[in-house]
Amino acid sequence: MPLIELKSVSKIYPLGSQQVIAVDDLSLSIEAGEFTVLAGPSGSGKTTLLNLIGCLDEPSRGEVWLDGQEVGGAPQPQLAKLRLRKIGFIFQSYNLIPVLTAAENAEFTLMLMGVPKSRRRQRVVELFAELGLAGLEERKPSDLSGGQQQRVAIARAMASQPAVVLADEPTASLDSQASEELLALMRRLNREQGATFVFSSHDPLVISRAQRVVTLRDGRLESDR
Amino acid sequence: MKIFLFCCFSLPLLATQVLAELNLRELIRTVEQQYSGDSSQTRIEMTVKTGHWERHLEMESWSLGRERFLVRILAPKKEKGVATLKVEKEVWNYLPKVDRVIRIPPSMMGGAWMGSHITNDDLVKANHIDQDYDFRLLSEDQQSWTIEGLPKPNAPVIWGKIVYQLQKQPLVPQLVEYFDEEMILVRQIRFTDVQTVDGRTIPLQMTVLPVEKPEEKTVMHYRQLDFDVDLQKEFFSLRQLKGRR
Amino acid sequence: MLWQLALRNIWRNRRRTLLTLSAMVISSALLILALGIFSGMLKDMLASATEQYFGHLVISAGDYQDDRDMFANFSSSQALEEQLQREPQIRGYSKRLRSFGLLSQQRNSGPAELLGVLPDQERQVTNLHQHLVAGSYLQPGDSAGAVIGSGLARRLGAEVGDSLVFVTQAADGSIGNDLLAVRGIFSTGVHRHDNSLVLVPLGWLQQLLVLPERLHEIAVKIEDPLRAASFAARLQPQLEGQLQALDWGQMLPEMREVVASYDVSRMIIVTILYIATGLGILNTFFMSVMERTREFGVLMAIGMRPGQVRRMVLLETLSMGAISLFAGVILGVLLSLYMAYVGIDLSGTLSPITYAGGTILPRLHAVLEPANILYPALSLLLVCLLAGFLPANRAARMQPVVAIREE
Repeated sequence: MPLIELKSVSKIYPLGSQQVIAVDDLSLSIEAGEFTVLAGPSGSGKTTLLNLIGCLDEPSRGEVWLDGQEVGGAPQPQLAKLRLRKIGFIFQSYNLIPVLTAAENAEFTLMLMGVPKSRRRQRVVELFAELGLAGLEERKPSDLSGGQQQRVAIARAMASQPAVVLADEPTASLDSQASEELLALMRRLNREQGATFVFSSHDPLVISRAQRVVTLRDGRLESDR
Repeated sequence: MKIFLFCCFSLPLLATQVLAELNLRELIRTVEQQYSGDSSQTRIEMTVKTGHWERHLEMESWSLGRERFLVRILAPKKEKGVATLKVEKEVWNYLPKVDRVIRIPPSMMGGAWMGSHITNDDLVKANHIDQDYDFRLLSEDQQSWTIEGLPKPNAPVIWGKIVYQLQKQPLVPQLVEYFDEEMILVRQIRFTDVQTVDGRTIPLQMTVLPVEKPEEKTVMHYRQLDFDVDLQKEFFSLRQLKGRR
Repeated sequence: MLWQLALRNIWRNRRRTLLTLSAMVISSALLILALGIFSGMLKDMLASATEQYFGHLVISAGDYQDDRDMFANFSSSQALEEQLQREPQIRGYSKRLRSFGLLSQQRNSGPAELLGVLPDQERQVTNLHQHLVAGSYLQPGDSAGAVIGSGLARRLGAEVGDSLVFVTQAADGSIGNDLLAVRGIFSTGVHRHDNSLVLVPLGWLQQLLVLPERLHEIAVKIEDPLRAASFAARLQPQLEGQLQALDWGQMLPEMREVVASYDVSRMIIVTILYIATGLGILNTFFMSVMERTREFGVLMAIGMRPGQVRRMVLLETLSMGAISLFAGVILGVLLSLYMAYVGIDLSGTLSPITYAGGTILPRLHAVLEPANILYPALSLLLVCLLAGFLPANRAARMQPVVAIREE
């Protein structure tokens, strides 16, 4: 059974009096442990697809299955719980909580899950060592570089060991060297810890590193290799 | 032309009205000054009755014109020598027990005079009623007139209305009724015992009846009345008030 | 950590938070002060009506207090006085005879209200002896002394040592008149008393009015004036014959209304002030929530439930409420204490206002009452909860997808 399965999924947004078809009758399945890039020009439906997989959005038509469970139609609190347990998010502009320290940001999801403080800390120390962030635990996001912030975001996404980590243009705000490092890191986590990654990008560098590239155009699947 | 006609018709009417007005005012003036005349000297017995006590006083009084009046208690013994002097709008009392003269302040003018149902204001203002009120004939029959007095605008009066019942021949008052500003009857004065004294026909007994307290009254009985006595202005002095001649 | 997050969020926009906090602190402190001063005025009013004249309750015959009819008098009995002495609630009582008449000094004269009293008893009930501006209070055994109000003294041109004549009609219809020597002059600030009241020896007035051994009233001072009504009701069945015990509320019904309406007015003032404060807080919190739309989107995306978001925002408002409550109460109590012990004298610019039978003195003087602190405090928390609820709900209902896209 695939970890993620989209069955004839469409997403239609109203835009004024018109309707925009962001995702058009798309079917896709992703197995656990894959390292997948959603590629395609901007407006091709990459972000919408990620939101659908990430239970942030509901399909207009079709079904989204996550870890053997159909997602659509659940109320917000339940979706929130699902996201907390199964999905880690990495955003283009990091989106760390500015009033929390790096460590607190990273352990936030664990806190929401009710994990005791000592175990949270332990996990954060592990992750920070792994991600090359050791010693930066007590820094505020504003005192970190873009690459460091994004690595804290990865730590946050991975802390609860989710079934899948979704990343929307994770390198878009980084320079090429930081992007390279970040991608290498994610690839390593994918290999060593078996974390499933699905991320969107139109950066050829990122795409070249992917194990699987799903290319979208006008909300449809153009190629999958 | 119209104005001329109007004048022709209305002038005689106006004239009779003015005449009537003058006559009424003159009648009231005569009645109000029946006990004083130009000058007078009297002896009065006054009986005051209330729900709690009844008192009997004997007094002697002098008056000159409208503005001067002196009265002194002769009996009972406890109050002998207590005297009141009125000159124009001022009223003084003399108290022999403490040998002091007290001026009645304006705020106390409504108070009882010598414990009776007559107020200090009655002493001061009664003599000016004919000047302060406008009069109107309410009804007339063979024996009597009923005359209503309403205060002139801005006149410093205490009554809202006064109604006189006067006997025509001889001219004496029978009943005077006093109404307050809300036109409620508050006091009646009845005149009885009409006799001819010193050439004048006047009622010798005057009974003041407060309407709100039916069990109370003040009766003044004139025992002696002399008119046109020889009195000078100087007689009405604080010195005289104290009874020192 | 939710707590920490909430607390840190408060300090995010330091200037805005401080402004909001100071508005809350100042409004609650001023409210506590205003209520304290309001209570002080009420107490002054009640004291001016009772402790300078009536006493807290008065025992008199029949309808004496309605028409002050001289003949509605009575004789005190040994049994009655022993009973009054036995009551632990009673702090003092004073036997009185009253007369209205003309008081005169040389060419000046004016109406006056004479209260025949036993000096030692009277000073236990009223505090005129504390308001003397010249001379001394009546001494026990004084046969013809008088302590007169300052306004009356001025009108008569009387000074300590002068002799006055009092004239009135005695109970037998005779003209009662006698001399009094001015012993002292009092000034309470209450025009009605200062302009007409005179204290004289009881025996002197009884003789003048030809009312030997008779009284018009016994004025009583009790421990707690606000319980005068129930005490009077308890005393009533034990009184003989025509005697009636009236509390100040019956003698001054408007005053009773004022006291009764105080709780209502207090709530109205609290409400009005806090509606204004609440709108300010609401505005601040709305702004702070709207600014963080994207952050709420992120928090919800990574798994924070709407309920937790709501709770977090409410925690923020409540902790601001708690901080300002603490500071506001301290500041308010300090200000009230200052006004209670020092106060501000306004007699230079204002004259006393008599209302409902009591007199509001031209001074700002606070009285500390628990309710005056409790109401503002509880209301502030309530206002914070209400003002926090709308933005908290707004935050909780955001769609994460939409919120994250917000710039």
